[in-house]
Formats: sequence, structure tokens, C-alpha cells
Amino acid sequence: MMKDILKRLTEKFPISEIEEQRANMIFVTMPKINAVQCISYLKQFEGFTHLVMLAAVDYIEDGIFQLTYILHNYELHTDIGIRVQIDRKQPVMESIHTLWAQARTYQQELKEMFGIDFPGSPDIDEPFLLEGWQNIPPMRKDFDTLKYSQETFFPRPGRKHYDPQKYMKEKLYPDKEPE
Amino acid sequence: MKLKDWIAPFYVWKRAFEKPFTVPKPLKERPGSPRYRGFHQNDLDTCIGCGTCSSICQNHAIDMVPVDGIETHKGDSGLRPRIDYGRCCWCALCVDICPTTSLSMSNEYVWIDTDADVFRFIPGSEKKPWDSFKKGYKREEEYQLVDPRRIEMEMLPPEERVKSFLEMVKGYSREQAQKEADRCIQCGICTATCPAHMDIPGYIKAVRENKIEDGLKLMYETNPMPAMCGRVCTHQCEEDCALAHTGDAISIRWLKRYLADQVELDDYSKAMPVDILSNGKQIAIIGAGPGGLSAAYYLRLLGYEITIYEANDKGGGMTRYGIPEYRLPYDQLDKDIEYILSLGVEIKYNTRVGKDISFQEIHKESDAVLISIGLMLPYKMEIPGEDLPGNISGLEVLDKITRGEKVHFEEKVAVIGGGNVAMDSARTARTFGADVTVLYRRRIEDMPADEEEIIDAQQEKVTFITQAIPLRIEQAEDKRLSFIYGLAEMVDQGEGKRPKPVLIEGKEFSIVVDMVISAIGQGADFSFLPMEYEKLFSRKNQLKIDEFFRTRDSKIFASGDIANQTKDAISAIADGHRAARSIDHFLKNL
Repeated sequence: MMKDILKRLTEKFPISEIEEQRANMIFVTMPKINAVQCISYLKQFEGFTHLVMLAAVDYIEDGIFQLTYILHNYELHTDIGIRVQIDRKQPVMESIHTLWAQARTYQQELKEMFGIDFPGSPDIDEPFLLEGWQNIPPMRKDFDTLKYSQETFFPRPGRKHYDPQKYMKEKLYPDKEPE
Repeated sequence: MKLKDWIAPFYVWKRAFEKPFTVPKPLKERPGSPRYRGFHQNDLDTCIGCGTCSSICQNHAIDMVPVDGIETHKGDSGLRPRIDYGRCCWCALCVDICPTTSLSMSNEYVWIDTDADVFRFIPGSEKKPWDSFKKGYKREEEYQLVDPRRIEMEMLPPEERVKSFLEMVKGYSREQAQKEADRCIQCGICTATCPAHMDIPGYIKAVRENKIEDGLKLMYETNPMPAMCGRVCTHQCEEDCALAHTGDAISIRWLKRYLADQVELDDYSKAMPVDILSNGKQIAIIGAGPGGLSAAYYLRLLGYEITIYEANDKGGGMTRYGIPEYRLPYDQLDKDIEYILSLGVEIKYNTRVGKDISFQEIHKESDAVLISIGLMLPYKMEIPGEDLPGNISGLEVLDKITRGEKVHFEEKVAVIGGGNVAMDSARTARTFGADVTVLYRRRIEDMPADEEEIIDAQQEKVTFITQAIPLRIEQAEDKRLSFIYGLAEMVDQGEGKRPKPVLIEGKEFSIVVDMVISAIGQGADFSFLPMEYEKLFSRKNQLKIDEFFRTRDSKIFASGDIANQTKDAISAIADGHRAARSIDHFLKNL
């Protein structure tokens, strides 16, 4: 069954990569411009009526964000993942809230955590978790969590850290001067 | 009102004695899920205090602190992580990176207290109810942030090795070196173990970032012979590498070699610009081995005028005359020595003190004398028949090969001993096509030779006979020798001591060979010292030296193999460095 679906998909859409993770879990990669059309097709004609999730990964070294839409087909008990790579410098993607209303929540989260915009998605600019956030989106790889943590939260009194390498020198082979 | 309305209130009583579907309050037990990331557990005995949990923590929640009852020693900093739960976000990166797997998380998540400060605690040290919890988040064995396997070093196959003296270890490419360096978690536990206390994390970082010249400079701060050490160092550092607890240690030695190999000798001065202001003081060093050369380098940087007296026609001492070329090519040793000479250090070759120049003369003309003569005198087996022709010492074999002299290896060779000289002699004889048997008085695991030398010798088909005590050598037919040995049993000497081989009476065996190479150890040759320096010795052939390498004569210092227990190149280099600092201190405070 899945073979047939894949065959029809490859005929209709310019799929660049197919990864069969399990018999009932397949990932396809395609250009940004075809993705929503493909998702819409899968929902309407191939029985993938359930949006499982929508997530992003920051591949900073390649200059892209990768979005993954996972859809589920209840009859076949099969998942399909649609992977789309978008330019990190222009992180804009077509919204799918018209297909699944709940997609707005995922998109709102992605806007806040990665800075990926989905124009037209309801309340897309409203804070999702981070009220009053004034930094670059925190899930971006160039966000320095440790630096932010050090700057934002004051050190608690009573804390002291010993560097193992220096501490071992002090204990085992301190510089000694002859008298 | 209908009848039903009258009955309905009583109808609910029907269910009064059934088990309710709702959960009663207050809730008694609410266990976390089996892999819940709850409060930390730390097995203090397994933990080595490497501090990687603290470095990786993105919330700056972990401090490394001393803990009562945990001693600092080689391989263990003695520190343990203290976690501030005011900052912890339970991401478990600390558990994922822990190289010993001592740190984990229980599935306990309830801890109530009115004092906020108690939430800053040392797991494992402060007893907690969840210490013994089995459930919680543990790192899966196959899930590792750092590759547990080292990048394999390409080597000549054993069958190729026995044919020539080509360097058997090929060295890392840049890609391999950077990948290997990338495995290093930069904890620095190894630094204390290195006799020279080299900044190992520092130069590994330089490899990773491809800052070759910075790396070279960093190595020279503690070791002026990296091309040599990068090949033949005993690499004790790797034994204490944090990663060795659950995987392969970082190939620290090969990364050192990589750095030294990347820079041509001509470019050393560019990488390490030095400005030496001569202070006019004269230092004489006896012996151009690693100890003498190391002292010369550091003293020269401090402005001293250095003359090294060397009995041989080349420098390097035991690393040249005792280590075969397939392990340490001579041009690499020359590279290290040439750089030291380029700073203005003078070596008087073919000058044996006591013969070509008197010790008194050196003593008189110098502000300080450093004796770094090494151990060049082979011990005798002290058995009958030792003087028969066909019996030669391992040192003599290696020395002759180095000088390019012909050694006629007969068909069957017996090598006596279990140290590196024995292994090198055995492997050298193999290279000349001999059938080699090594006889050693203890077991293979007791051999003082480097483990890899033993393995290489085995791969090259050297036969081992262990627990064999030499008894005598007899003349056999056709000018052959019969080597007679007795079987020994290992007798336990109590904890911490090596078991002692004790001869079993009546169990004598013999092996007929064409040549016997004895390599059972060596001592120092102090015959160059005139009688008036008798006072320098604490007992026979043992100079009395204090912790600052001073002898009983305020002008005479000693370092290298004659001054330490480990008797390896890196210890000699470390000693040389410390002796140099000590000499500088005494001359400045005269």
C-alpha cells in the first residue's frame, strides 16, 4: 500500500530524498514550494488525516532550518514525514492552519523558539512560553544558553568551583622553591 | 411528583460499596516514570572528578568541590560535583557526557524543605532517600556524545615490519588528528600523571583548531623533545585518560607526534620566537640524553652558556642508542636536538669525561655541573658460562645497530629479560631473520616493557618462555650455546608487592641457541668521577640527590635516569626541566 502511495507521490511532487525508517514510517524531502500542496494532497486523497506534529531543527552549519511535518493514516497505521529545508536567513514558511486548526499552536511555538514565520497563522506573534523575551530565539544554535544563564541569573552565595587540572597541581605537584 | 423521583436518591446507594473509579486524596504514591530525570545520584568511587559534568552544564549549575575522605591522586582529582538545584533544568547533559557513567538520575522528584540552601548538594556524599533507587535516567551504553573508539593508527603489518627498519607507525593525517582531538573532553586529569605535566588539553585543543604553531609552543613549555616523545613516550597519561574508563583513551602520544610532524625544523624559530639575553654564567652538562638536553634547553632560555659533554658522536643518549630506528627514526631525534642547538647550546661530541677531559677541569670552569649520564652499563646475569663467546648484552646489540655496525645474528637467538631493551633486542634480531625466544623470570604481565612492545613482539612471532630463571650457559656442539634455566613458581609477597619468582628445585630445562642476548637491566657508570667525589654517593653507584636535584657538592646537580625511579625519557625530560629551574635558583641566590 505504502509503495503505491509513494509511487503516486513521486509522480506528482519533486521528491529529492526518500528514507524508509520503518515499514510504517517514511520520510520524504521536497522543496519548500511544493510542501504544503503535498501535505494537502496527502490529507485529502491518501487518508493522512491526522497531523501528528510539526518540528524544526537548526542546521546552522548548512545555513538551513529543517521543518518536519508528520502525518498519520488511521486506516494503514502508517506515518509519513515531509521534510522541508528553508533558508536560515529568510525563515518564512507557508501556514497549514487552514488544513488543521491546531497547527497554529505548533507554528506559534516555532516562531518563538526558532524565529520561523508563518504569515497568516493566527496569533503568530503572540508569546507562546517566553513572555517579554528580548533575545534571539532560544532554540537557535547560535543562542548561547550558558552565557544567557550567567547573565540573567545571579550566582547564589556560597558557591565555589575548583578547576580539576589546577586543583590537582596544587595538591600533587605544587611549584616549590628551594630555601 | 413521580415515583422515580422518590426512589432516585436511594438508587445511588447501590454503588456505595463498590470500588471507586476516582483516585483517593491525598495521593500516597506517585512514582516518576522509569526513565524520569529526577534527582541526581553519583557513585563516588567510580567518579574521578574530571569535571566534565560541570563544563557541559548549560545552566552553570555544577561546581566541583573537595569531599571529605576522597584523596587527590593520579587519575582522580579528588573533587566531586555539587549541584545547585536552583539552576538545574534537568536536561541530563551531565549524565550523558559522564565518561565513567558514575553520574545518573533517579526517578525521585519530590524533595521539600524550608531551607533553600539544602538544594545545593553533593550527590552520593550527602545521603538521600533516592541514592539506592534503581529507576531513573541512566546513560544507555550505545548512546554516547563522545566516540568511545579512537582513530586507528595505521601501522606496517608484522610481516612487513620484520623485513626492515622503516618506521612502523605511520602517523595521523590532519583529518584523523582533528577527529581524534575532537574526542577529548578537555578535563585535564592526564596532566598530573604526565611526569612533565604537559598541558595536554591545551595542545589537543590546538590540534582540533588547527593552530599548529600554538600547539608546538605549548608543548615546548614543558617538553623540548616532542618529536621523540610523540613516538616513544611511555604515555602514562593515556592510562589515566577519563575516556579510558568506558572506551579508548585519547591517543595523546600520536597527537603530540602529529603536532611536531607538521612544523619543519626551519619554521620552529618562527613558531617560537625567543630572545635570549646571555648572563655569562657557564653550565656544564655531562650527557646529551633527554635529561641533559632538556636542562640545556631551559637553562639556555634563561640566558646561561651551556656546554654538553657527550661520549658518543651523536646526541639523544638511550633514545638513540637504545631504541631501534623503526620506533624512533634518527632524523626525528635529530630534529629535536638541532632545535635546541640552534638556540646556542654547544655539544662536545666524542668527549668522554674522565678520559678526554677531566671532571675537575669541568668543575672548575663552570658555575654549575649537571650529571645526566643515564644508565649505560648492562648488568651481568652473574651465572657460570657468561663469558662464553656468543653471549652479548642487549645494549651492545642496539648500540651497534645504531652505529651501522654489523651484528651477525645467528639462526637461533635467546633474549634474557623482560624490559624494553629485551623487547627491542628481540625484535631487532627478528628483523635480521633470527628465530627469537625471550626468557623472563616472571610472568608476561610482570614485564616492565611497554605493553605495546610486548604485543608487537608477539605479533612478530617472538617466542616467550616465562618464569625461567637463568642458571648457566654451557658450550654445545658446533659452537652453539646451551642456555640452562630453572622453572620458577611465583610466590606472593603480600599486597602491593610484585610476586617473587622462586626456583623450583630439580626443574631444569635447556635451550640450544647460537646467541644469547642478555638484557636484564643496566646501571650507571660513575667511573669518571675521581676518588675525591666519593662523598657524593649514598651507597654503591647511587648519587645522593635532594628534591631539587642537588648533590652533596653545591655546584653539582644530577638528573635523568640516575635520579628517578621510572627511568624513562619523559621523566628524564621532566627532571631536566626541574633541575634547570633549580640550578637557576641556586645561581641567582648565591
